[in-house]
Amino acid sequence: MPTQLSPEGREPLSSSCERYGRVVDFLYREAELLDDRRHRDWLALLTEDVTYRAPVRITTAHSLADSTLADMGHFDEDGYSLTKRVERLETEHAWAEDPPSRTRRFVTNIRCWEGDSSGEVLVRCNLLVFRSRGDVQPSDLLSAQRTDLLRDEGEGLRLARREILLDESVLRTQNLAVFL
Amino acid sequence: MNLQSVIDDVRRGMIPAKIYSDPEIFALERRRVFGHAWLFMAHESEIRDPGDYVVRRIVDDSFIVCRDETGEVRVLFNMCLHRGMQVCRSEIGNTSHFRCPYHAWTYKNTGDLVGVPFHQDAYGGDDGLEREGVGLLPAPRVATYAGLIFASLDADAPDLVDYLGDFRFYLDFYLQQSQGGPEFRGPQRFRIKANWKIGAENFAGDSYHTPHTHASIVDIDLFSAPKAGKRKEGALFFAGAGGGTTYKLPAKDFRENLLHIGYPDEMIDRMESTWSPGHRAMIGEAGFMPSAATALPNLSFVHNWPIVNREGLVVPFVSVRLWQPVSATETEVLSWFVVDREAPEWYKAASYKAYIMCFGTSGMFEQDDVENWTSITAVSKGLMADRLNLHSRMGLRRDGTTVSDPLDWPAPGRAYKGFGEYNQRDLLALWCDLMSTSDGEPTRSSMLD
Repeated sequence: MPTQLSPEGREPLSSSCERYGRVVDFLYREAELLDDRRHRDWLALLTEDVTYRAPVRITTAHSLADSTLADMGHFDEDGYSLTKRVERLETEHAWAEDPPSRTRRFVTNIRCWEGDSSGEVLVRCNLLVFRSRGDVQPSDLLSAQRTDLLRDEGEGLRLARREILLDESVLRTQNLAVFL
Repeated sequence: MNLQSVIDDVRRGMIPAKIYSDPEIFALERRRVFGHAWLFMAHESEIRDPGDYVVRRIVDDSFIVCRDETGEVRVLFNMCLHRGMQVCRSEIGNTSHFRCPYHAWTYKNTGDLVGVPFHQDAYGGDDGLEREGVGLLPAPRVATYAGLIFASLDADAPDLVDYLGDFRFYLDFYLQQSQGGPEFRGPQRFRIKANWKIGAENFAGDSYHTPHTHASIVDIDLFSAPKAGKRKEGALFFAGAGGGTTYKLPAKDFRENLLHIGYPDEMIDRMESTWSPGHRAMIGEAGFMPSAATALPNLSFVHNWPIVNREGLVVPFVSVRLWQPVSATETEVLSWFVVDREAPEWYKAASYKAYIMCFGTSGMFEQDDVENWTSITAVSKGLMADRLNLHSRMGLRRDGTTVSDPLDWPAPGRAYKGFGEYNQRDLLALWCDLMSTSDGEPTRSSMLD
């Protein structure tokens, strides 16, 4: 398992700086692509070596510090598996998203820190996904904290690592056929 | 509701649609199925050390499944004997004692009551409340097989080995790939608006849905076996408490077939020495590899072998899952990734990847299954659905003869080749047996009377 992305000990970036603005532009753009189901365009925002994880959250006594399972995720993806997921959604047989969900992603509380190299920035934000399927089924809400490593390899920011900390231990949405 | 007519129709493979949503049926299932059957609670690898516990449910009842300080596995009803508070409210952890948050009654992880505040002042000591021999209510029956911890709420339930019967052979296949046994990771938990029986039936024998429901998996070259032409060559087995599906593999050789689906030689060596001649014959000379299966009522298994990377590496995975009823129309799915403890680390990592891509909350197979099951459940609630018997007689002619003859099957139970709903009917026949039992009022008792 890769080590957790943590802002601890890193230099925070002010929300008034230019790099922070570029991060906000990236995150809003990404959310729009996913809401619009432009999954191919979304894949183009990921680095070759992307990792994308959502550990299983658990209810534990006393503290939230150990409230994830170390060795089990809802997602534990790389470029291959994310591409396969997108290819699947593009087939005519991905029934879980046919008819497609209507989703709206709300991205807030964006904080940035210096990355390990000049092209990298560590980003933490809150994510709320509203998901509506069919006509009268109750809608789903997925709430999470995302910690991202964004990297500029010369063509603008790309997502290199994402850790999704879901706030439910038992998911109330029938599947994760949507990206977070 | 005329239960007998429902049962009669189910037994002939004509299933009243309402069994997938009717609250009256569910109320009966709660008592007659879940009040009597042996139910999977946890695997021993989840509570390896003294003090380890997980909290699991049987429908509405919360149980602490723990390993006490002497190493014994306990299944304890999570309700304080005093005012009924749940004494454990986290789902996993390690502790020697459970202290009720309400009035601080304290129990050892054996269940024994060891602390009552102001015992002398408030109760007059043992004259009012004797603590000796008193503790959290244990599940009436607890037993293990292949590391699976089962409980039954029926003190008179048959012994677990008799309940499982020859299905144990298939449990050995999924769980005993070496002497070390498996480790369970997870579970992922998610709630779906589907009746619990639909998943259980599907895993028990529905090879017919694979080519169409899971067409996308073939489209994207993740796993080629679900193609209809291949799936219909598989066998459907049923033995004791459950049944399952298989794929037909190309060779007549044990090792070659296991290599074909991605097991490394060192794991095959251990399988060869751990499994029985029946396992070796089923996989070897007969060439059948188990895929999905279900044991009555709600414990399922799946074994598939997708491609896990761009280089085309094929690696198998095993998942164990529980269809835990919440109501007639909602199920909590608990889905574990299971891997042999002695497997090499690269295999464990690749097999985990295979699992995540295919099953569980984000699994590309499971997503499409659940879409079907929620839709069935939703539409089974209405007045029109009350009039409809669903056709579950695949493999049977009108005169009751089977479309194909039983296979010459080298393993326990009976098997048929090709598509058929033999297993779903056999599983629901066991459900009918349980639903036909009488259920008197349970005897109430207090540990403290």
